[in-house]
Amino acid sequence: MDVFGSFALLLAFLCAGYAFVGGIAAILTRHPLLIKSARQAGIATCGLIFLATGSLVYLFFSDSYWVSYVVAHSNRDLSTFYKVAALWSGQEGSLLFWSFLLAIYVFSVLLVYRNKNGELMPYVGVVLAGVQIFFLTLNNFVASPFKVLASPGANGALEIFTRADGNGLNPLLQYPEMVIHPPNLYSGYTGFTIPFAFALGALLARYPGEKWIHLTRKWTMIAWCFQTAGILLGAHWAYAVLGWGGYWGWDPVENASLLPWLTGTAFLHSVMMQEKRGMMKVWNVWLVFSTFLLCILGTLLTRSGVVSSVHAFAQSSIGNYFVGFLVLVLAVCFGAYVKNRDYLKSENQLDSLVSRESSFLFNNLILLVSCIAVLSGTLFPVFSEWFSGSRISVGAPFFNKVNIPIGLLLLFLTGVGPLLAWRKTSTESLKRNFGWPLIAGLLAGIVVFALGVREFFSLVCLMLCVFVTTTIGMEFFRGARVIRSRSGASLLASAVDLTMRNTRRYGGYIVHMGMVLIFVGLAGAAFNKDVQKDMQPGSTLQIGGYKLLLQGFETKAEKNYTSERMIVEVWRENKPLMMLYPERRFFQTNEQSGTMVAIYSTLREDLYVVYAGQNPETQAPVIHAFLNPLVKWIWLGGLVVVLGTLVTLLPNRRAVLVLAGAPERTPVQQPQALAPSVAHREGHD
Amino acid sequence: MTKRRAAAFSLVIALAASSGAVLSLRAQDPQPDRAKQIGGKFMCMCGCNQVLTQCNHVGCTTSASMLKELDGWVARGDSETVITSAFVQEFGTKVYAEPPKSGLSLVAWSLPSIYLLSGTLLVIFVIWRWRSRALAPATTAGGAPGISAQDLENARRRVAQETED
Repeated sequence: MDVFGSFALLLAFLCAGYAFVGGIAAILTRHPLLIKSARQAGIATCGLIFLATGSLVYLFFSDSYWVSYVVAHSNRDLSTFYKVAALWSGQEGSLLFWSFLLAIYVFSVLLVYRNKNGELMPYVGVVLAGVQIFFLTLNNFVASPFKVLASPGANGALEIFTRADGNGLNPLLQYPEMVIHPPNLYSGYTGFTIPFAFALGALLARYPGEKWIHLTRKWTMIAWCFQTAGILLGAHWAYAVLGWGGYWGWDPVENASLLPWLTGTAFLHSVMMQEKRGMMKVWNVWLVFSTFLLCILGTLLTRSGVVSSVHAFAQSSIGNYFVGFLVLVLAVCFGAYVKNRDYLKSENQLDSLVSRESSFLFNNLILLVSCIAVLSGTLFPVFSEWFSGSRISVGAPFFNKVNIPIGLLLLFLTGVGPLLAWRKTSTESLKRNFGWPLIAGLLAGIVVFALGVREFFSLVCLMLCVFVTTTIGMEFFRGARVIRSRSGASLLASAVDLTMRNTRRYGGYIVHMGMVLIFVGLAGAAFNKDVQKDMQPGSTLQIGGYKLLLQGFETKAEKNYTSERMIVEVWRENKPLMMLYPERRFFQTNEQSGTMVAIYSTLREDLYVVYAGQNPETQAPVIHAFLNPLVKWIWLGGLVVVLGTLVTLLPNRRAVLVLAGAPERTPVQQPQALAPSVAHREGHD
Repeated sequence: MTKRRAAAFSLVIALAASSGAVLSLRAQDPQPDRAKQIGGKFMCMCGCNQVLTQCNHVGCTTSASMLKELDGWVARGDSETVITSAFVQEFGTKVYAEPPKSGLSLVAWSLPSIYLLSGTLLVIFVIWRWRSRALAPATTAGGAPGISAQDLENARRRVAQETED
């Protein structure tokens, strides 16, 4: 099967090569057969990558311990569940997994548009094939997952040998979320290849209008949704497994996943400027290019060892290939832009400073500033070493100080932006839309302050959360009320109906609401507290309103590890509440340990209990307990964001929402007639 | 929406969103001791890339010994500057969790502000330029009557597009 996998990968490389060269020939000659054959080569490439990936999975499941990658990342006792995760747990397998996910996207695009956009698709096909060639080069010639174990035999020739068992999977990866976090994150990274291919293809083809934007919106949303889910799942994994009580440590690899998310988010907003007003065409193209380049940069950071990280793969020379690819892609993008920039001429005009257009500009500014700040902070240790010879670390305190104010500005714009009208927002409209939300926000601030919260950023954050929630709530309420007055349905049913009539707009609001929930959760971090204590059976530990009583220990031999767990009874208000079992696991195959945190999670706070090992001096077991307020809101917010994104992907139930009592639109005879028809659209996306 | 309804609605949202969550924060004013506060300014040197006081991975002897050192210095009443110097001498500048606000590190601190400032200036310039463009045709055309059929059609198309959803 390893030979089959290698062969499939090699064939895939050749097919991608043909799709690339044949695609260019097809563009030059416009020969229908060439166009078709290049497309089919692209589809064949994907099919072969599927086969190669299937081969590697089979090798894991069949315990093929003559394949180096399988030996390094699996063992016989590893559960089936984690044998799947072993596929992407190392450099070689994760690169193949990257190719696999990219192939799913490419396959879908080539299939969906096989009879559409005849002018554009050959260009898109060539770009996609180019990206695939790069990754297949790595899969075949740099980091093949199908290398076998071999040693010189008696006659001097290499002989394949088989190990009795593998080294096992890294304990940190033996957690359910590690089976879904990387696929989500990688689906985000690879998914941004599609808008990139369309943007570059459209630029190369001088494709007219905003067509590429319409074509790629859903693909971009899908990639963004995966990226969001991937980031949050990663945060949850860090929270539940690493045992340090936090979920985001501003680790370089975490930062790498955030960078394309920030530019992707900026693109999803600014793209509306192009759709509605024909503005910012150059900006949008470069945002898409940047997002793709940042995906590659993130991969470079993870895999090259340029920056140190617990998440990174082993240091290797593979980074040089990524640097080369980055430079090449940047050169192609820049060349295409210089050659065809006239085609991107925009209709940039702004009627008023107080308008949706302005809010998008500031939204993009904030997101981009955050992105560049995170990037420069991440790379600063490298630059400081170049310039001064000593590496200066840039850790979480720096990123928190820089990004918290930026995040709050963004949260403010989340509330303001959607309620501003395109072109111009009247004073009346400002009063109508923002009066009550501002009052609600201020009121919340007073309540929070009166309740004793003095942490400045948390206070502002909670005020803004209420402000944004109210703006969103009022938008739903207004629309639902109109529908209810006509249909007689309940307000909730009317709100659902409203959402389904304009999924993009109201789905967007749901996404914003999810972000608000996430910010509520983040605001709680300022109030985290923790206690660490040596424990003996019968001893107690007090944290907040909880009392932890250590009842004892138990050791249990599982199939793949030995577990040593504490039996902790949790008391609250002098009543027993529940049992928690913080755990340490010892994996025999690779002689590594891991923690399993016990968490009692409520909307109010998380009681987070870690079995932190033994005190080296007293040999007493140590409990490290944390009380983390509002953390659950982050995960709930993530779910709401994903739900909102899915809603935006749905087609509208009805194309036009006709408001009761709205004046019938008269045919435009004179430019003055534009004003009322635009004005009554205030608040639309 | 009537004012009364809107007020009630806003109040409900404000209270629902803030009070429950905030009540949980009230009684939990953090009172970190000095060692914890100072420890939050250094990295654990085991390579985990975590802040010293947050490094908690099983078997990390580095953070344990660093924290012990720190506790000793704090108990002795050493100033933060002295403690910082001692750690930097022992581990080099890698030990900082955030760059010091001096020398080359000042660049790291000033860059985000520079980005924000220059970006804001750029956005203001862009807005000003686009505003000028928007105003220019109105003054040169001197009003509506001179609009061409093509412009009219464009306007019609745009209005249709903007009112579509």
